Amino acid sequence: MDPGAGPRKERPKPREPAARLEKAKQRSAQQELKQRQRAEIYALNRVMTELEQQQFDSFCKQMQGSGE
Amino acid sequence: MTGAAGGGGGGRGSSRRAAGGKEGGRSRSAQPRAAGGGGGSGGGSEEEEQEQQRDGGSPFLVNKSGFPMDGQTWERMWGHVERVHPDGGAVAAAIRSAARLARPSVPPVPNYKLSMSIPDWLQAIQTYMKMLQYNHTGTQFFEIRKTRPLSGLMETAKEMTRESLPIKCLEAVILGIYLTNGQPSVERFPISFKTHFSGNYFHHVVLGIYCNGRYGSLGMSRRSDLMDKPLTYRTLSDLIFEFEDSYKKYLHSVKKVKIGLYVPHEPHSFQPIEWKQLVLNVSKMMRTEVRKELEKFARDMRMKVGPCTWVLGSGGSCALSHPAETGLAVCQPEILQVSGVLGGCLHFSQCCFCRVWCAFKPLQLCS
Repeated sequence: MDPGAGPRKERPKPREPAARLEKAKQRSAQQELKQRQRAEIYALNRVMTELEQQQFDSFCKQMQGSGE
Repeated sequence: MTGAAGGGGGGRGSSRRAAGGKEGGRSRSAQPRAAGGGGGSGGGSEEEEQEQQRDGGSPFLVNKSGFPMDGQTWERMWGHVERVHPDGGAVAAAIRSAARLARPSVPPVPNYKLSMSIPDWLQAIQTYMKMLQYNHTGTQFFEIRKTRPLSGLMETAKEMTRESLPIKCLEAVILGIYLTNGQPSVERFPISFKTHFSGNYFHHVVLGIYCNGRYGSLGMSRRSDLMDKPLTYRTLSDLIFEFEDSYKKYLHSVKKVKIGLYVPHEPHSFQPIEWKQLVLNVSKMMRTEVRKELEKFARDMRMKVGPCTWVLGSGGSCALSHPAETGLAVCQPEILQVSGVLGGCLHFSQCCFCRVWCAFKPLQLCS
């Protein structure tokens, strides 16, 4: 080793940036998937809420009819 | 609570019996990932658990895979929709294949301000829950194990505010506890109902609130009069009878009412929630009897003004004394758990009066 040389710099491992990039991509994909699932869930919930309301209304009419 | 009109799942609890998912067209969001999440039971007696797994005759589906939901849970959700909706196939296809779906807004988590009155604060919390919406999809998105320590349930509540998805009644109770933590003048306690309609039993739970001498509730339900009630009821009985009268409108007869203890305000407590300190078979009781039992219980709850204290009992053993008991009547706890901590050992035990868990360093018991 050259005694005049400065302190040895640690060389970054070549695989690190690639691994970090990969993780960032995975996180972004997970986030996108969550957002898509959330959008589908609320779209579904709107439909199912309407169905439940229709069933309830028709049940109430049935009860009123049998009451009369 | 499930609607009065015919089947439909509802209520609460986690299901251990997952309906098989239908293999079918995959949605843009059905990307498989490693199944996660643990199993768990909803607690309670075995008979009750089995009943809750099929609330109102319909099975419970619960997401135990976290977020995003894994492929199996996702497909199972859609499979259920295709079975229960008259146009299930078309509905599923339309939503799952849509290139673009409107991005639902994320309601802001309410923040308490000193200028708010307690009723206003409770209203803000209830409004937030309504904005999340009642979950009609048939799949519960957050797993709630009722026997978990409070700290774990509060983590789940935090997750609810992060993921911002529709919720059902049990989730609303946990969320209500989380959002009212830190308001010491607001006492929270669970109120559970078991009702009967058209040959089926249904379960529902709301969060009872006691503040400044008045009772009210927070919660979520298919029916708007089976969830939040204003903080105006002078007695616990008045509140419970209000729910009973609401149930009658939907032809549900209330069979059992279970009232739990006040939930501690410490979000990191390892204590589980006590769900059924008082159980009343109201269908077999006169209203006057129900009122008497409820008021006695409510008085006892209001008397719990301080924590249990450890005293040195006879023979050098340690014992737990509850401040509401006259004199220093001491209840003998069972030492159920021993934990090592720095500098000594802590014993955890449960007061047999108020069921609060307390930690102590025994004077003589440690070797």
